[in-house]
Amino acid sequence: MTTLELLSAREVVTRYGDCVELVPMDPNFHDISVGLYERDGISTVWTFSRRPSVDDRMRDIVDRLIKLGGMEIADAWNRLRFTCGDLHTRPLKFLTTAAVERTAERDRPEELQIKDSKSPLTIDMTGEQDGNRYVYRISTTGEAKNPALRLRAIIAGFVRYGEMEKLDDTTITFSCGQRHDGLARLILPYSRNISAVEDALEADALRGQMTTSTLGFAST
Amino acid sequence: MPYAETMTSRERVMNALAGLPVDRTPVSNPTNVATVELMDMVDAPFPDACRDPELNAQLAATSYTELGFDSIQPYFTIIQESSALGCEMQWEQKDNWPTVRMANPIWKGEADVKIPADFLEHRDMKSITGAIEILRKQFGDEVAIIGKSMGPWTLAYHVFGVETFLLMTIDDPDMTMRILDKLKVATYLFADAQIAAGADAICVPDHATGDLVSGEYYKRFLQDIHTEMAERINAPLILHICGQTLDRMPYIAQTGMAAFHFDSRNDPQAAMDAVDGGIALVGNINNPETLYSRGPNEVRKEVYACLEAGVQMIAPECAIPLQTKLQNLLAIPDAVKDWSAERL
Repeated sequence: MTTLELLSAREVVTRYGDCVELVPMDPNFHDISVGLYERDGISTVWTFSRRPSVDDRMRDIVDRLIKLGGMEIADAWNRLRFTCGDLHTRPLKFLTTAAVERTAERDRPEELQIKDSKSPLTIDMTGEQDGNRYVYRISTTGEAKNPALRLRAIIAGFVRYGEMEKLDDTTITFSCGQRHDGLARLILPYSRNISAVEDALEADALRGQMTTSTLGFAST
Repeated sequence: MPYAETMTSRERVMNALAGLPVDRTPVSNPTNVATVELMDMVDAPFPDACRDPELNAQLAATSYTELGFDSIQPYFTIIQESSALGCEMQWEQKDNWPTVRMANPIWKGEADVKIPADFLEHRDMKSITGAIEILRKQFGDEVAIIGKSMGPWTLAYHVFGVETFLLMTIDDPDMTMRILDKLKVATYLFADAQIAAGADAICVPDHATGDLVSGEYYKRFLQDIHTEMAERINAPLILHICGQTLDRMPYIAQTGMAAFHFDSRNDPQAAMDAVDGGIALVGNINNPETLYSRGPNEVRKEVYACLEAGVQMIAPECAIPLQTKLQNLLAIPDAVKDWSAERL
């Protein structure tokens, strides 16, 4: 079967597990919501929308999760997993958002390099197999006041948003020890500015919450 | 002996509101249950679902048909009356709540307060009364349909702006009372219209919230008005006030309203002690942390804490976040049924 079945809320949760990521509005397809449901290490791409061509859109998103994040098809067309078997929950959030909200034209280039957002530095990422784990090395080029400080902050960004392990002041690895260039490429821009990313995540979280402040009832 | 359900959802809710025995504690959110996924399921997205009776009814029904709650609440927002009064609206998109642009208030003082003659005919009022009629026809006596009519305090925030209105309460308390008396007419009109359309009970949100005003303020400005509402409106009333409200719960308990929908910032047992049997409590599963970002196990713990305290109806503390994940909503009735099976 290569189409979405008509399932109730309970059937979806029972069959596919808990929703781990929810994009409330797909800007590329009628503002439908797209969820990633997870059970036993397999993520299912799902929407309750039954708009015409919604199956095609779900297939597009599946393809993008594979292309951008290096996931692979598990046991059905809309069910995916990472080759390592880990969930990579935190980077999966950024991957899902990129797969749904961005278009191919806006995807980042293949190279593991980006301009720093807080200094004139350029951030470079290289990877190599080191025994039984794959290690990513972060370096900077260019002139800045304190490049070592920036490097530490960038490494902290990878640890936070990629759920990576810091090996030393310049090297990190994914928790599974496997190579995930797609995830590393996705996390790279977020690693540059933790405070801005946190602000954006907080704003996302507040959107759709009915509170005294979001409704304008705050005293200030 | 295994526990068995012997009541319809409607009987369960109405009994709980009347202080009568129930087969199990009802799950009923007097403010609303709507999420972006449920909107997609019935193709009734915000803001259209707030403004069209058919879409409104389709989305509201999912709390019963999909989630297994014991009531349906078709008034999702807190701004329908304010739109009908002429406030400047920001209808937002599917994933956010419509709001009143309170920075541009429509009224300045007492003389401005006038309820339009065609107040109930406004499309944003008809969307609610129309939805209630549809739902009553569709579900008959199966499930409780809860309406909502904003209290005068909330309406005053919308029409005067929060800061202006709160300063008014200090500068001219007598005028404030006269304004509240005029605005409560809107509450009566809309509540009566919803009851006529088929609503079983009315939620009255009146945001004298704990982080803005004190319990003594509640007593001074609102307790008598809410008491009058309980006498005047011909259906059980559920008062909703956000924030820390333990200091005003003893006053609320004396109003004669059927229930108080309370916030997670109040411990369930402390709340039960504060109302001391004077009013039923509805609540108080935390929205921003538990329902929005945690999982079913955490939801279950909070449901159990409410049930152990004797809270009469289980509900999220307020309108749920629009991106709430379904497993957390399904966990609420599941937990109530499990607790009932263990204890009854």
